[in-house]
Amino acid sequence: MADPTLQDYKNDVPNAWCPGCGNFGILQVLQKALVTLGLPPERVLLCSGIGQAPKIVHYLNCNAFDGLHGREVASAQAAKIVADDLTVIIHSGDGGAYGEGGNHFLHAMRRNVDVTHVVHDNHIYGLTKGQASPTTDQGQKVAVHPDGVAALPMNPLALAISQSCPFVAQSLSSQADHLLDVLCQAIRHPGFSYVNVLQPCVSWDPVHTYAYYQKHCYRLDTSHDPTDQAAALAVALAHDGRIPLGVLYRNDRPALRPVSEPGVGDLRECPDRPARLARVFDRYR
Amino acid sequence: MPKILMKGAEAIGEAAIRAGCLSYFGYPITPQSEVGEYMSRRLPEVGGVFVQAESEVAASQMIYGASGAGVRVMTTTSSPGFSLMAEAMSYIAASELPAVVVNIVRGGPGLGGILPSQGDYFQAVKGGGHGDYRCLVLAPATVQEFVECVMKAFPLAEKYLNPVLLIGDGMIAQMMEPVDFDAVKTEPQRDVEAWATTGCKDRPRNVVECLWLDPKLCEDFNFELIEKYKKMAAEDCYFEEYELDDQPEMVVVAYGTTSRIVRTAIEELRKDGYKLGMLRPITLFPFPFDRLRALSETAHVKAFSVIEMSQGQMIEDVRWAIRDKFPVGFFCRMGGIVPSPEEVIDFLKQEFVTRGLKGAKS
Repeated sequence: MADPTLQDYKNDVPNAWCPGCGNFGILQVLQKALVTLGLPPERVLLCSGIGQAPKIVHYLNCNAFDGLHGREVASAQAAKIVADDLTVIIHSGDGGAYGEGGNHFLHAMRRNVDVTHVVHDNHIYGLTKGQASPTTDQGQKVAVHPDGVAALPMNPLALAISQSCPFVAQSLSSQADHLLDVLCQAIRHPGFSYVNVLQPCVSWDPVHTYAYYQKHCYRLDTSHDPTDQAAALAVALAHDGRIPLGVLYRNDRPALRPVSEPGVGDLRECPDRPARLARVFDRYR
Repeated sequence: MPKILMKGAEAIGEAAIRAGCLSYFGYPITPQSEVGEYMSRRLPEVGGVFVQAESEVAASQMIYGASGAGVRVMTTTSSPGFSLMAEAMSYIAASELPAVVVNIVRGGPGLGGILPSQGDYFQAVKGGGHGDYRCLVLAPATVQEFVECVMKAFPLAEKYLNPVLLIGDGMIAQMMEPVDFDAVKTEPQRDVEAWATTGCKDRPRNVVECLWLDPKLCEDFNFELIEKYKKMAAEDCYFEEYELDDQPEMVVVAYGTTSRIVRTAIEELRKDGYKLGMLRPITLFPFPFDRLRALSETAHVKAFSVIEMSQGQMIEDVRWAIRDKFPVGFFCRMGGIVPSPEEVIDFLKQEFVTRGLKGAKS
């Protein structure tokens, strides 16, 4: 079989993002990453929920599951558990991943199913036109917080590292080379991998612009040891106004695999499935 | 105060504030995010509190907690969000707390669309959450009526210690119409000392709970709920009759946005001599069963029709009301499409033929 090409992932679904949206950069890099990893579209399942970011699953020609706001994190783990040959990648926004789906995010890190969770973090609710998200800055004035957001923004990187999430990285939608490298590492990682991708919202967030990120982001260099959890946490918690890009933390916790009952194998391709399942059930009689 | 032009979603927020609701918890969802935006701006001006929750699950649990603490409280959402609140609705009803919830219904099932629909009728009037409970359900048809219903919803919720649910759709929430806030007077909040968690100095403590491990006690509570719902039916069932006073042959039943289209259709058909009128339920629970049944027992009424923006949900209540004395004609548009007056007129004309009515000849 020929290696997959970018052409294989192209489709003609009309794009509904605003011109200049950070999501375009993520879409392009995601396609490149899948091709770079030699993954044919039929082996890739993209899962998403509701928001601007989740629309991405419609713009690539591969398997797609567009479920509920934030809950796609749970659905995606189940898909991977029953179909281990699929590469499962979740695309959520900051609202879905950290708000509505916060509980699922937390437990996905614990459970460690081999899926990749890419969070398009634009610090705002784009789809519903500009309300505060869980990562909007404290004090930032937005649609439903005319006097500024009172709550502290979530620190999802520190949260993930503190929970020993197997792979924690951050990148920026406008730095294609960096994002490609990080996404490829995340997808390859044999366990739950999480990438927070910062992206400007050109329509609803005048604060976190391309220029803002250009000014505040820095790339982690070889002096950072991503296997050092305490060091990673220190980077994530540093209140120095600088935003780290790169793999902050990773560990080699074994991923959760489907329980392999001897003789059962892949349930979908098993010709005498009822008989084999009966043998399993017999053991519990 | 003179009438002012106001968007439905904002009028809902203002009506709640004028009813003394100074606490709002919500989560953005189209087509009603403007309620939250309005409340976030207005509530601080009047000393109220606004919280954007992390999800509809959280928002609904917040109104549960705030209501338990004895204040007037409201949340607003749209269909997928209301599904997430279904759990809290059951608990609020079971804990006998007052709360006002607005569902601006959109096309479904699932994520569906964002345009007007009435697909949540069953969810609103038959339950939605688990267990035997009912919400008192109001279905206003204009922005003005929405204002009046919101202002009445708080005292109703307190009268019955039960959630009051208002349902509308994007047409009403997103449309601007003239409103007069002085046209309706709200009642001040009743004494909450008997049930609210407002401290227990010099009185026994109040506990908000809904667990009865003794089945006898749980059954007793369910019997109490039956009495409560009977009382709602006896004292707070509201509907409007349109052109029903000159011996119509046909009664059309429609609510909310659909009733506005039906009103136009009836107006046109009556010019051509068709004798028909409309019964428009304003409360969907309690439903005007008795009035519909009385109409079905008159000598002149020979047919009923139901128009909905759903697959046929309210029609089940209409059929039950008239004990299937006549076949009930049914027309619907769904998924965000509002029926046009022309297609409703064509349907009703055909019904006059199908049911063998005199129609234009009368």
